[in-house]
Amino acid sequence: MDSNLGYAGGAPKARLPLLQRIGTQRVVRFLFGSAATISTLVIVLMLVFLGIYAFPAIRFNGLGILTQSVWNIGDQYGSGHVVRAGITAMQGAQFGGLVFVFGTVVTAFVAMLFAVPLSLLVAVALVYRVPPRLRPLVNAVVELMAGVPSVVYGLWGIVVLVPFIGQRLGPWTTEHLGFLPFLGGPAGSGNGLLASSVLLSLMAMPFMVATIRDVILAQEKSIFEASMALGSTSWQAVTKAVMPSVTNGIFAAVLVALGRALGETMAVLMVCGGAVGIFAQNIFQSVNTIAAVIVSQLESALTDPTGLAQKSLAELALMLFVITLFVNIVARLILHGADRSGEA
Amino acid sequence: MTTSIAPSATHTKLDIRALNVYYGAFQAIQNASLAVPDHCVMALIGPSGCGKSTFLRALNRMHDLQPGTRVEGKVLLDGSDIYAPGIDAVAIRHRIGMVFQRPNPFPKSIFDNVAYGPRLHGTQDKKTLMEIAERSLRSAALWDEVKDRMDKSALTLSGGQQQRLCIARCLAVDPEVVLMDEPASALDPIATSKIEDLIDGLKDKYTVVIVTHSMQQAARISDFTAFFLMGELVELSTTSEIFTKPKDKRTEDYITGRYG
Ligand SMILES: Nc1ncnc2c1ncn2[C@@H]1O[C@H](COP(=O)(O)OP(=O)(O)O)[C@@H](O)[C@H]1O
Ligand SMILES: [Mg+2]
Repeated sequence: MDSNLGYAGGAPKARLPLLQRIGTQRVVRFLFGSAATISTLVIVLMLVFLGIYAFPAIRFNGLGILTQSVWNIGDQYGSGHVVRAGITAMQGAQFGGLVFVFGTVVTAFVAMLFAVPLSLLVAVALVYRVPPRLRPLVNAVVELMAGVPSVVYGLWGIVVLVPFIGQRLGPWTTEHLGFLPFLGGPAGSGNGLLASSVLLSLMAMPFMVATIRDVILAQEKSIFEASMALGSTSWQAVTKAVMPSVTNGIFAAVLVALGRALGETMAVLMVCGGAVGIFAQNIFQSVNTIAAVIVSQLESALTDPTGLAQKSLAELALMLFVITLFVNIVARLILHGADRSGEA
Repeated sequence: MTTSIAPSATHTKLDIRALNVYYGAFQAIQNASLAVPDHCVMALIGPSGCGKSTFLRALNRMHDLQPGTRVEGKVLLDGSDIYAPGIDAVAIRHRIGMVFQRPNPFPKSIFDNVAYGPRLHGTQDKKTLMEIAERSLRSAALWDEVKDRMDKSALTLSGGQQQRLCIARCLAVDPEVVLMDEPASALDPIATSKIEDLIDGLKDKYTVVIVTHSMQQAARISDFTAFFLMGELVELSTTSEIFTKPKDKRTEDYITGRYG
């Protein structure tokens, strides 16, 4: 309790103001500490709540939620029931989530394929190529893009992106480049994997650009100059010295962005095509993600008198939660490691 | 350690003529001319902010990297102007190396730090790189301390070791001139004296221009000393002369401690 005051010897502690007696540092540490504890607690409580709520579905579905691709809430008007593991569902009910897990992972992954190289390029250009006078403008655009609500991205997707893919890009690509993997077959309406991934990448980019830019700026000057002074070109300095020294930070930024893309709901819901029970064979066809299906299937799930459809959606939500939590924790650990190796 | 050779008496390695450096509209160096003889140590001294770093960075075209900075005048390396049209700044920096005020090793292994430059310039053979690394680390008086942990991160070294690593990294590309900007200012006295000792050994192979804000250091390690004040080169002399019988009143004031 009084370790902060050790130097004071026998000084009359009672006369010091309260804050000083406890130690300002300690108060701050307590506040931050309790904030961290509370948010951790909230996360744990949410996990527990979701787990308890979804528990009947977990028992009923078993591994099927991950291995099966048919999502059918059963015959809501009949009177037949199926019972599995002691849990009752409507006749014909089958809750296979594979299509949604697949869609979630693939849309986010393809989005990262677009967004990571582009964000790297933009961030590097921002640090090295954009004239200082223009930098505030570009930075402002990046911040603005980050602040646009996802429903606006979705609307732009519906009005501009989907027609473009459905009427031009898709037909042309499947006809001329159809021999390549994931490009052949029917092009579809434009709603689907490509549209979802493009939106996701646009939404991920502002965060990634800003973070990668800051990570580079934190290291950049001394490393860049060190390399230049050895007779490197500026391209060599960036690629061989600066970038390798910021890979951890970049990797963490990508993971945080990935975590967000995995859980992004509204924009994807608007352009994904809402695939149920079918896998996309090429980048133009319909997909569905966990987040999108929870929203789109909720209404019909609520009509299930056994309640198992809702609980199965909750099970999907739990899975999404665990996946994004995992991705974020890995990102934190990497950043933490990067901080420590930078301390020297 | 100081000699009595006048700057003109031997081969001139660097000949700086009427150098002006501007940061935007602000002129940081005013019409400075100065010759650095081959195989000697030239110290640049002067109060903080007088333009020592600015002058030094003009000698290997580091100012090119910062938009808005402008250099006028000539810097002749072995008689040819490094600012002449068509001259590649990258090639110049290969010949004129630089050690910075704060140790700035790459977050790579000790070996990869020293091998970085040679690799850039085309040496890939591991054995050759190892020989270069050993030779450079020996010149930087660091070999004995790191020879058993060449693949450990450079960031595990102490500040003084990191700075010697940066010196080794610079020597590994075999420069002709080594520029040092207060290389010991962030270090403790023991690390500082190690650096001072090794600088003396560099003269055989290299020409050294070193910025220092410590007059004692300049006196200990340099053959010639140039005194700068507010962007102006006030006086250039052999080190012994400048500290015993300065010609300019301002130099005298400075070395007797009348400026900060
Ligand atoms: N990048 C810069 N932009 C504008 N002014 C600068 C810059 N770097 C240095 N200066 C100014 O130029 C003058 C000389 O600086 P510097 O060469 O760093 O001095 P020294 O190394 O002798 O301490 C100082 O007045 C400083 O404020
Ligand atoms: Mg300086």
